[in-house]
Amino acid sequence: MSDTLTRVRSWWQQLAAIMIKEGKQVTRDPSSWIIAVVLPLTFLFLFGFGISLDTTVVKIAMVREDGGRDARAFGDALTSSKWFLVVPATDRRSGERLLQDQNVKAVVIIPAEFGRRLYAQNTTAQVQVLVDGAEPNTANYVHGYVGAIWSGFLAARGLEQGSPIAAPVSLEVRYWYNANAVSRWFLIPGSMTVIMTLLGTLLTSLVIAREYERGTLEALYATPLTRGQILIGKTLPYFLLAMVSMAVCVLTALLLFQLPLRGSFLALGLVSAVFLVPALGQGLLISVTMRTQMAAAQLGLMTGYLPAMMLSGFLFDIHSMPPWLQAITLAIPARYMNVSLQTVFLAGDLWSVLIPNMLFMLAVGALFFGLTWRRLHKRLD
Amino acid sequence: MLQRLLAIVRKELITMLRDPRARLALIIPPIIQLFIFSSAATMEVKNIALAVVDLDRGPYAADVQQRLAGSRSFTRLPRYANVASARGALEREQVIGILVLPSGFSADRTAGRPASAQLLLDGRRSNAAQITAQYVSTIMAAEGAPLSGAPPDANAAGGSAALARPANAEVVIDNWFNPNLDYRWFMLPNLVGMLSLGVALMITALSVARERELGTFDQTLVSPATPVEIALGKLLPPLLVASVQATLYLLIVTLLYGVPFRGNLLVFYAAVLTFAEACAGVGLFISSLVHTQQQAFLGAFAVLLPFALLSGFATPVENMPWWLQFVTTINPLAHMLRLMQGLFLKGASVASLAQDLVKLLEIALCTTAAAVLLFRRKAA
Repeated sequence: MSDTLTRVRSWWQQLAAIMIKEGKQVTRDPSSWIIAVVLPLTFLFLFGFGISLDTTVVKIAMVREDGGRDARAFGDALTSSKWFLVVPATDRRSGERLLQDQNVKAVVIIPAEFGRRLYAQNTTAQVQVLVDGAEPNTANYVHGYVGAIWSGFLAARGLEQGSPIAAPVSLEVRYWYNANAVSRWFLIPGSMTVIMTLLGTLLTSLVIAREYERGTLEALYATPLTRGQILIGKTLPYFLLAMVSMAVCVLTALLLFQLPLRGSFLALGLVSAVFLVPALGQGLLISVTMRTQMAAAQLGLMTGYLPAMMLSGFLFDIHSMPPWLQAITLAIPARYMNVSLQTVFLAGDLWSVLIPNMLFMLAVGALFFGLTWRRLHKRLD
Repeated sequence: MLQRLLAIVRKELITMLRDPRARLALIIPPIIQLFIFSSAATMEVKNIALAVVDLDRGPYAADVQQRLAGSRSFTRLPRYANVASARGALEREQVIGILVLPSGFSADRTAGRPASAQLLLDGRRSNAAQITAQYVSTIMAAEGAPLSGAPPDANAAGGSAALARPANAEVVIDNWFNPNLDYRWFMLPNLVGMLSLGVALMITALSVARERELGTFDQTLVSPATPVEIALGKLLPPLLVASVQATLYLLIVTLLYGVPFRGNLLVFYAAVLTFAEACAGVGLFISSLVHTQQQAFLGAFAVLLPFALLSGFATPVENMPWWLQFVTTINPLAHMLRLMQGLFLKGASVASLAQDLVKLLEIALCTTAAAVLLFRRKAA
C-alpha cells in the first residue's frame, strides 16, 4: 500500500519537475509574454478593425451626357446618397478609363436624351451602370444600392404609374442573436479561434522538433520520465499560456469591441479548454513527426493555421463551399470551436449545441494525443 | 565582389534545395493551397438550407415555397410545424433561417390586402444571413406582383440585369472584367500574391535564425564575404523561388481555371520580383533581430497576418477605417493585389500599374536597406 503511494508520489514529483523545466523555458523567453499578450491583442485589433464585411462608401464615377432636369435629379440622388462617393467624369471614355485603372468601382452613365426619352412614347430611357465585377461582393452591393436609388427616383417623379398595381407582400426580417447583423460580432469569436490555433498548434509544433534539432532530446530520454509525463509536461505550460491569452482576448472583445456575452464565463472557459486538447495534440503530433523546426512550422501552418483561417467558417461560410470541401471541414477542430464560441457569445449557453461540438473536439484531441504517444518512442535512432 | 555574392547565393540555394522533401515542400503545398482556398474563399452564398414554417397551408403560401424551390440558391427547404421546433435546427446551424408564412397569408392575398411573412435569421452568420435575406426578399417582391410568369431566379444579379422596369425607364447593369461575378476570378489572382508573400517571407525569416541556432552563422561570417554580400546572398534565392512559383500559378490560374490574363507579362514579372524582394527584406530583418527559429517564425507570422488582413485580400480596403486605409499604402501586399487584379482581370494601362509598381519598388528598397543595415550591425 505504502509502496503504491510512494510510486504515485514520485510520479507526481517527476511530472512537476518537467513542468517546472518547461514552464521556466517558456517564461524565461521574453518572447513568450509577447506571444501570450501582445500578439493576441494585436491580432484581435486587426481583425476587429481591419475586417469588415459591412460595405460603407463605394467610390463611383458619373458621366452625365444629359444636362436636363431629370438627369440632374438622378445625379443628385446618387451624389447625396450615403452609399456612394461620386466622382464626375467628363465623358464615357474617361469614365471607363477610371474603372479600368481601378480608381472607381462603378461608372453610372446618364445618356443624352435621357430626360426626353423618359416622357416620350415608345422610347426607353436607360441609365447604364458599368460595375467592376472583379470583386463580386462589392459589385453586388453596387447593384443593390443603384437599384434602391433608382426606385426612389422613379417614385419621386411619379413614374411608377405604369407598373402593375398589386397588394404588396412585405417581408419582416429579424436577425436572431445579432439584431443589427454586425459582421464584427461574428468575426471576433472567429478570430479568437484563429489566435488559439496559432498558440496551441504552431507553438507546440516546434517543441519536440527543437529538441531533435538541438540534440537535447537524448538528455530528456535519459531521465526516468515516462512518455506520458513528457507529453503532459510539454503541453501544460502552453495550455496555461493559451488560456491566459484567451482571457486577454475575451476582455478586449467585451470591453473594447462591446461584444455581448450572452452565455456564461464557465461555458467560455470550458469550450476554450476543450478546444486546446486537439489544438495542442495536433501541434505535438507534428512535432514528433518532423525532425526540423522549419518543416514542423510549415506543416503547422498548413494543417493548423490556414484551415482555421479559411475552412472554419470564420470568414467564409462553410455551407457555400463545394461538398468535398465541406467534408474536409468536418475534420477541422477549429470549425467546432468557431460555432461554439459564436454560440456562447451571441446566443448563450445552448448546451445542445455545445456538448456535441465539445465531444467532437475531445475525440479528435484524443486521437492526436494517442498518435503522438505511439510515435514518441523513448529510443534513439 | 560579384563572384563572392554568387558563391553565397549558390550556398543558400543548396541549403534550401538539397533535401528532396524540402524541394517538394516549396512546390506542392502552395499548389494544394491554391486549389483548396480558391474553392473555400467565397463570399457567395450557395446551397442555402432554409426552414419553412407554413401556418397558412393555402395556395399562395405554396406558391412562395415553389418559388424558393425553383431558385438555384436554395437547396434544402425542410418544413417544420412551428417556430419552436425549427429553432433547434437553426441553433445547430442546420438551417440559416426560418421563413414563417402566417395563417391568413393566402386569405390576405386573395382579398387583395397587404400580406406579410416573417424571416428569422441566424445572426451568428450575419453575412450569409444578410445575403439570404436579399434572396428571399427578391422572391417575395416577385410574389407581390400578380401571379404570372416563371419564378424569378434570385441569382439573376449576375450578368446584365434590368433592375426595375416601370413604364419606359430602366437601369442596365454591365459587369465588367468578371461578367458572371465569379468569386474565384477575384480570389485566384489574389492568391498569387498571397502565396508569394508566404514563401518569400518564411524562407528569409528562418534563414539567419537557423544558422544562429545551429552555430553555422559564425562560419559564414569568417568567410571572405562581407556582411553586405552575405545579406544580399540571402535575399536573392527567394526571388528565384518566387518567380518559379509565380510562373506555375500563372499557368494554373489561366489554363486550368480559365481566368483571363489581360495585362503585360513583363509587368507581371516585374511585380513578382519587386514584391518578393520587399517581402524578403522584411524576412531578413526579422531574422537578424531574433535568436531562435521559433521567434523568427512568430515574428514572420506577426507580419504576415497584418499584411494579409490589411490588403484587400479577404475584405475590401474601402470598408476599413481611414487610419487603417492609410496603413494599407505601406503594405506591399495591398499594392501587389491591385497589380494582380489589374493584370489578370482588368487589363489596366501600364501607366496606372506603374503607380503601384513604383510604390512597391520604394517599399522593396526600404525593407532591403533596413535588412542589410541591421544585418551588418548584428554581424559586426
